[in-house]
Amino acid sequence: MSSISALRRAVVVTAASSLVISAALVAGSQVANAAETPRTGGTLVLLEHEPRLDHLDPSRIYTGRDLAFMNSFHTRTLVAYNPVPGAAGANIVPDLATNTGVPSNSAKTWKFTLRPGTKFEDGTPITCEHVQYGTSRVFATDVITDGPAYLLSWLDIPKDADGNSIFTGPYKNTPAGLAAFKKAVSCSKDNRTITFNLNKSVADFNYLATYGTISPVQAKFDNGDAYDLKPQATGPYKISVNNKTELVLVRNKFWSKASDPVRTPYPDKVVIKFGLDEEVQDQIFLEDSQPNAMNFNGPLPTNKDKFFTNDEYKNRRMNNSDPYAIYIAFNLAKMPCLEVRAAMYYARNAKALLDYAGGPTYAGSYATGVISPLVALDYAPTKVVGPGSPDFMPEGNIPKAKALLETAKTKCPADYKKATEDGILIDVRQSSTLNDTIPINEAAYARAGIKVKFNIIASGYYSTVMNPAKQSDMSSAGWGADWANASTVIPELFASFGGFNLSQNSNDPAYKAFEDKVNIAMKTTDRKKQAEMWKALDKEAMKNFWVLPTTFGKAQEIWGSGLGGVFFWVPQGNPAYGKIWVKK
Amino acid sequence: MSELLRINDLHVAFPTDDGLVRAVDGVSLTVSQGETVAIVGESGSGKTVTSLSVMGLHKKGTAEISGSISVAHDGGFLDVITASEEEIRSMRGRSVAMIFQDPMSALHPYYKIGDQLAEAYLVHNPGKKKEAAARAVEMLDLVGISEPAQRAKEFPHQFSGGMRQRVMIAMALMNSPKMLIADEPTTALDVTVQAQILTLLASLQKEFNMGILLITHDLGVVAQVSEKVNVMYAGRIVEQGGVDDIFYNPMQPYTLGLLKSVPRISATGSERLKAIPGQPPSLISLPAGCAFAPRCEYIKFADSNACATQMPALVGTSAGHTSRCHIDESKRQASFAEAMKEVR
Amino acid sequence: MVRFIGRRIFFAIVTILLVSAAVFAIFSFLPFDPASLTCGQRCTPQIIEGNRIKLGFDKPIYEQYWLFLSGIFVGRTYGSGSAAFSCPAPAFGYSFNENACVTDMIKESLPITLNLAVGALVIWLVLGISLGVIAAKFKNRWPDTSSSVFVLLGTSLPTFVTGLALLIWVSIKWKIVPMSLDGYVSVLDSPSRWFMYFILPWITLAIAYAALYTRFTRAAVLDTLGEDYIRTARAKGVRERTVLFKHTLRAVLAPIVTLAGLDFAGLVGGAIITETIFNLPGLARLTLRSVYEFDLPVVLATTILAAVVVIVMNLIVDMLYAVLDPRVRI
Repeated sequence: MSSISALRRAVVVTAASSLVISAALVAGSQVANAAETPRTGGTLVLLEHEPRLDHLDPSRIYTGRDLAFMNSFHTRTLVAYNPVPGAAGANIVPDLATNTGVPSNSAKTWKFTLRPGTKFEDGTPITCEHVQYGTSRVFATDVITDGPAYLLSWLDIPKDADGNSIFTGPYKNTPAGLAAFKKAVSCSKDNRTITFNLNKSVADFNYLATYGTISPVQAKFDNGDAYDLKPQATGPYKISVNNKTELVLVRNKFWSKASDPVRTPYPDKVVIKFGLDEEVQDQIFLEDSQPNAMNFNGPLPTNKDKFFTNDEYKNRRMNNSDPYAIYIAFNLAKMPCLEVRAAMYYARNAKALLDYAGGPTYAGSYATGVISPLVALDYAPTKVVGPGSPDFMPEGNIPKAKALLETAKTKCPADYKKATEDGILIDVRQSSTLNDTIPINEAAYARAGIKVKFNIIASGYYSTVMNPAKQSDMSSAGWGADWANASTVIPELFASFGGFNLSQNSNDPAYKAFEDKVNIAMKTTDRKKQAEMWKALDKEAMKNFWVLPTTFGKAQEIWGSGLGGVFFWVPQGNPAYGKIWVKK
Repeated sequence: MSELLRINDLHVAFPTDDGLVRAVDGVSLTVSQGETVAIVGESGSGKTVTSLSVMGLHKKGTAEISGSISVAHDGGFLDVITASEEEIRSMRGRSVAMIFQDPMSALHPYYKIGDQLAEAYLVHNPGKKKEAAARAVEMLDLVGISEPAQRAKEFPHQFSGGMRQRVMIAMALMNSPKMLIADEPTTALDVTVQAQILTLLASLQKEFNMGILLITHDLGVVAQVSEKVNVMYAGRIVEQGGVDDIFYNPMQPYTLGLLKSVPRISATGSERLKAIPGQPPSLISLPAGCAFAPRCEYIKFADSNACATQMPALVGTSAGHTSRCHIDESKRQASFAEAMKEVR
Repeated sequence: MVRFIGRRIFFAIVTILLVSAAVFAIFSFLPFDPASLTCGQRCTPQIIEGNRIKLGFDKPIYEQYWLFLSGIFVGRTYGSGSAAFSCPAPAFGYSFNENACVTDMIKESLPITLNLAVGALVIWLVLGISLGVIAAKFKNRWPDTSSSVFVLLGTSLPTFVTGLALLIWVSIKWKIVPMSLDGYVSVLDSPSRWFMYFILPWITLAIAYAALYTRFTRAAVLDTLGEDYIRTARAKGVRERTVLFKHTLRAVLAPIVTLAGLDFAGLVGGAIITETIFNLPGLARLTLRSVYEFDLPVVLATTILAAVVVIVMNLIVDMLYAVLDPRVRI
């Protein structure tokens, strides 16, 4: 579940506000029937509405579901999330490496030693050089697009005058660039240990090693863009068919259980069927006509009640919180007044909008900040906004909003005038539900005497709002952690160097102190201490109302009676596909 | 001369939403070998309905037919009204053939002339394809189409109107029928072509010794080819007689009106046509008495009460000449004389 | 005849050229930068400019059109050096989204669409013509009345309703045609699986069209039965059955063939709903997906292909008409 995917998923959430949901946060019905022992064999079928997965190339996958899928079956990484139910699932364990990474030099240097006996699908033993080559691909930014880009800024490689890395990837490099890369990512003499030299302390660098962006690739099979169609397998399954109707994974005979402490392959074959009509999919599961199938894209909003209120389906459904925090960013360049921003929060009718989107059952819960409860260690209700905060009222706290505006009237009259007379302009993505949600918002804000207007953006939403010249007063957005560490949330959203800072908050009086604390938190290697810091920073960001948090989302899964071992894999926000087995 | 067709008291009515349309109301006539019997009348007088009844071409369920129509067929007589569909079918085209008014639309546009002719033969002589084809060419030749073998391979649209009517006649002759019904055979044709077709029909009649039932509204045609004439008005025969009887001694004001309306060129130059005033009555609600009474110029010579209430019977001065009229014979002679001068 | 066909083919080619040029022009004036559409989330101006040059979007439009046209005959190579990719002739472009030559994508989709369209055509012609003839023959009696119920349902039920109903009830619930996720099978490989794969989509499409053809055939048969030449045939003593099935149907055939030809052309690339519901990866799905994803080279190629199919079907229909109707002179 990555930032990019967060953007995508946020899009889904805002566009189809019918994406709906449940009560308990991180509850999740886990189907763990101890009486049943997993069976090997059979075919696991996943039904997908879209015509394909966005990417298969390990360097380019960045969405939680696709990572959960490919990393379960096909692509091995240096370290991996432990595929077990509950919070323990967020723990990283050694995968291709024999450890979870050894930091030194204040977490500026990270060493991973490779496990012996690991092979590619053609039988070639995996060495450090393969990982080194795989890692180098992310620098070919014109070919290897869409994957996590942290390495570009973290690896200790000199930059040119424009701020671009002097290494430009394996396809068209210069000797100087390649030398600089090989210095930053080096292999030991025995070709078993890989060392990453970073230009700053990154205490959780090893979490990035759960991504395929650091994974072995054989140069001789790397055909650039086309590698996306059939990347080489290192896991227990390899791709046998990949076309517009299906993706078929079959067993990779060069994978050995002995070399892989993480994966327990059960089915003989894993198949994703693409392009199924969503209604047809739901009917298949309602009728259980394909017992060995699971939906890959969630049931239709209109069918959710059928699945989740009927006991018939209780053993083949789950409803979990998804890893995304949905919010509306304040553009501080245009809304510098804290009181007006706070008033915008309190005047909003969160309940009406959540109910419209499906209510707490399917749509999620009121957000308490931008760190999702799924980033378990770093999550605590901020008690500043949302449930648990003194002034939070789901329908809106109009007296509080009015009082705040009263203060703003004298303290920042320009902002007050904008809010009450000119109207505050909010960026929203074009969607079919706007006709309903805009009136809800207008009515809610009118109660406090606030005027709102909407800037409806039909295409290129994020590229528009991320352009300061084009961003309006407020912008709808969503974000999920790249791994179970708010280091991929708080800095990305609120630091001036963050990749997704829509708040433009660097001129805010509270900013300087905030950034200092962010830098300290990033260097902190004691995970527990670090977690407390993130919690405090989430709280601080909320206190400053740099964003208006709305909901923590939810997602539903449904599957056939012939599958066993389905559980929710917390860090990926999806089922641990690799643990699913097919009953007789 | 043996009789080929005997129609006795034929009634044909069509039920419609507005009421029963009595298209033919008590028609009796006979046609014998070698003779041409004409039925003359305005549109809607029932002459075509009569001819279609003879062929059994009224759709079952749409027409109420009573009386009898006996057609010489296979050495005996077939009553078309009671016969089975299959019996009628075997009669059609074989014992009695028919040609139609509009040769442009009466031929199937998608089939070759030769095939359409051959089909007429094959229907009654299944399997004899070669003979059928040969006979088609033979008949085309007979009706005066040059290069018949070549033209048999052509489609109807490649023929002129007159040629198509010749083709229709050839088709009718395919099975050497004893009787031919010609329903307005020349109406759609040019005057010069009309004459050719009539001459052709006459010569073929002689050759095949056919009886012809000629349906027409054109007294000129009648005069040219028929021996016997039936004048129909509003579904009834109002006058029946030899061709000379009808033309020189009409006994019915309607027949006289028809004669008067024939355009002619006299010594004093052309005159205005003398149309019969008024419109034919609706066949749904016929007057109780004489159907022609409302239009009759001579009603003053008759007991007008009788004209309005009593249908005149078909009676005549001689066996071969009968008419329906309430005007007394003596009065008629005098009153018609003046008009007949004009006609001559 | 030969001259006519030659002339018509010549004009068809001219029309195809004009249509393709028009489509090409329309796509060039769309308010999208085709180069920026080729790149994913993490896009930099360098990537966009690189792709622009690779795909030739930097060239003037007439030159792009010429490259497009010449690609059809001699193939096309995009970019240069080790990162270059080639599409052999006939090349209709390169899809960045799919990393594939458009021609290959069409080659995969076209057989499915053709299987779908031909099968549906056969079913709806047989069903529509039979029902139409029966309805005309038994006008205003129960076969006519029941066929008019079918016509009403067929024309008023949208394809997505009939399609979904068939799939959900016949396939998923009753398992009469058990749902298979196995995908397209060629008739040569397994006729039975091929039949099972296509039967419901065929029926779905055929119902809608058969209803139209029933109505059309009924009206045409009734019209024709009133023609003088049908009376002539009866007067010849031709059996009623022959009158109906030979003389009448023969006359009704020509307009039905015209209609069927154009409807068939519309189905090639137009059966969007049926292909979507039954997950048939045919041409319509390819087009639809490409439109959603702004995969312009694919949209361009499929649009031109659809136009070509319509033009070619028109040509075929005209020639068939000349064969069927002797009055048409060619």
